[in-house]
Amino acid sequence: MKQFGKSALLFVAIGLLLYASVFVATERLLMRNGHSNPFFKTATAEAPNYDWVILGASHAMTLDFGGFNALMERETGLQILNLASQGTGPLYNQFVLEHFLRTHRARNLLYVIDSFTFTSRAWNEDRFSDAKLIRGTPFEAATAQLMWNYVRHDGVSPRALLDYLSGFSKINNRDRFQRDAWEGEAQFDRVYRPSATAVSKRIAYLYPDATAPDVIARYLRDFASLIEIARQHNIRVIAVKLPTLTLFYNQLPNEAAFDLASTQVLTDHAVPLHDFSAALDDPRFYFDTDHLNRTGVTELFQRRLKPLLTMPSTE
Amino acid sequence: MLFTSLDFFLFLPLVLAVFALTPVAQRWAVLLLASYVFYGYLHPFNLVYLGAVTLVIFGCGWGLERATQKTMRVALLVLGLVAVLGSLTAFKFYDFIAGEIEHANLFANFKLPRLGITAPAGYSFYVFSAASYLIDIYVGRLSGKQNLGQVALFTAYFPKIFAGPIERATNFLPQLLSGLHADPVRFALGLQLIGWGLFKKVVIADNLAPLVDHSFKIVAFAPPLELLISTYFFAFQIYCDFSGYTDIALGISLLFGLELMENFRRPYLSRSTAEFWAERWHISLGRWFRDYLYIPLGGGRAGALRRAINIMIVFLVSGLWHAGLGYGVGWNFLVWGALNGAYQWAGLATRGLWRRIGEALPRVTASAWLRVLRIVITFHLILLSWVFFRAASMHDALLVLQKIGARITDLPHLLTIYPFSTEQLTGFGLIAFLLVYEIVDERRPVFQRLAEAPVALRWGTYYLGIFALLLLGRWQAKEFIYMQF
Repeated sequence: MKQFGKSALLFVAIGLLLYASVFVATERLLMRNGHSNPFFKTATAEAPNYDWVILGASHAMTLDFGGFNALMERETGLQILNLASQGTGPLYNQFVLEHFLRTHRARNLLYVIDSFTFTSRAWNEDRFSDAKLIRGTPFEAATAQLMWNYVRHDGVSPRALLDYLSGFSKINNRDRFQRDAWEGEAQFDRVYRPSATAVSKRIAYLYPDATAPDVIARYLRDFASLIEIARQHNIRVIAVKLPTLTLFYNQLPNEAAFDLASTQVLTDHAVPLHDFSAALDDPRFYFDTDHLNRTGVTELFQRRLKPLLTMPSTE
Repeated sequence: MLFTSLDFFLFLPLVLAVFALTPVAQRWAVLLLASYVFYGYLHPFNLVYLGAVTLVIFGCGWGLERATQKTMRVALLVLGLVAVLGSLTAFKFYDFIAGEIEHANLFANFKLPRLGITAPAGYSFYVFSAASYLIDIYVGRLSGKQNLGQVALFTAYFPKIFAGPIERATNFLPQLLSGLHADPVRFALGLQLIGWGLFKKVVIADNLAPLVDHSFKIVAFAPPLELLISTYFFAFQIYCDFSGYTDIALGISLLFGLELMENFRRPYLSRSTAEFWAERWHISLGRWFRDYLYIPLGGGRAGALRRAINIMIVFLVSGLWHAGLGYGVGWNFLVWGALNGAYQWAGLATRGLWRRIGEALPRVTASAWLRVLRIVITFHLILLSWVFFRAASMHDALLVLQKIGARITDLPHLLTIYPFSTEQLTGFGLIAFLLVYEIVDERRPVFQRLAEAPVALRWGTYYLGIFALLLLGRWQAKEFIYMQF
């Protein structure tokens, strides 16, 4: 029995060494194939200071598709870092911002508000456990420590931290040799053909839970915390709602109630809101039910965003 | 809780630790508690079904032990069987039959009420174990004087509860009475079985599953060659999914010093469909049907015609038992059963002929090439029946066969121009690996070869297996196919 125990220990020790080697190899692979993950972008961001940081869910990610962020930087002469990530609400974005501010500085924060991200834990606490996000997040002890705070205080599952620390999702990544890009980016140049069925399915997906006022209030508090964190770092915050098709917008559940509640939070924190929801109501500006394509992003940038980004701060 | 979930990988060491610290005589109680936690983890209400089945068979078994009059004994047996098997039948078929009756429009505007519920996970398995417990007491193979807790463990034992093996109380309960001890040899073998079972499940079955699901979801639009490839893939998906579960169940049991019955023995190396069903595929179910249905019906003792009828009854009931296996309830399962029954008929009808050929040409019948030919033919007969098993409906099954059949002569040409995806090529590679493994294992068990191999080779193989699981496994699957009863 004693000999069996010794052999077992040696077997485990060698196994752990091998595991560590695979862990290191996958981290290196990630640094080679990383692309859209906000933590990867922060780790590889060359400038220490940015004029603008953009946060939000996938709708905000379109501003960095197909090299559009670089175009915005050229046209405005500003340094912009887009840290939005798919399906993420205020809690996850707060995590991203806190992590970013450990090593970088920004003068302005553009937060793209999507009502669906305030209605469910699926877009907040649960996003920390999402394998697709974890496998694109480079390993850093500081990130793990920060994630631990969210586990302790914000109801994030310890599995997320365990996955991150063990590197399991990275090691088990079937797309390990492909660029870590969200699938929507490949459709950036497509044009959408409206479909009521597709819209209904999309709405059902985005709003898996009822739009309960107490849930919205909970995530609005997280959003307020995010604004507070930005303020503590002397960052000016501007909120925007990006354009959607009327066909899509009309099916958003309780959007008016959400607007009322979010406007209250923004007013309390003196954050201006620019609502571009109705700015581009033509399918040619979208690549699917609700994401702007290159034409749409270009139009939005030229007509609305460029003046906003270059507007001098009055504070 | 699934064997492939993180929760289970935390749960198992905890149970093992508590088990090791508990006195031998009480260890079964640790397993009982663990089994209830395991089964009720996601759906606590399912424990009500489990508890009810346990109480019914324990009560009826207790009564059978004490009843002296035959009518009373028969009544208790019938009561118990109707309760457990009747509930299974109702869960599986009531809503389907009600729908079919309404669809037939025999009575104008006739609407039947619906149950609107499905059987809890693993119900078919523990109900069959429970039924065997009662029958064994009735025929005197087992005493009705049992400990309620141990009977509860027999029904609920967590490694087997979702997908078997359909254990017999005559094998299980005596092991509890003699006390549960795990020794290093059985412990090591258990870990190997768990590893191999996980490999079959998360690496082979779950990498084939998306390709199969995709084709069978769009039968009308899928190209014939893709349907053919998916049919082959399904044969290995279902084998690896189901036997993977069984291997894990057997392996976990060895960690606790318990031996469950063998359920699979390299089924695709069968030389006849009779061998496939009787000796190699889902052995515990085959033996259940043999002992509790085929033999009570008269088996082969009452003449050739009666034997043929009994065989067909067994396979039709087996088809019904499999209905609802995640692919819905439909007539295709009955056809699947009937087709396999017909294979047995054909085997019986030609048995004499083969024997005479064997006597006339002994060298030919003993040759390796004929053995391989028989294996290939048997595999393809089973493959044909899997189409009815996997398709969502009879219409889909016939469409698959029709589309493949219409292009069968073009296959060589189609194969040269078909754009195989990386996933499909990976699937073929995994199947080839499995077949090589099974052929090697058929001659002498791989675990035995490994045990005798030098440490470096043995450990190297283990590490390769573990890292294959980590690197290639699909751990996101939400179920094993057979637990969806």
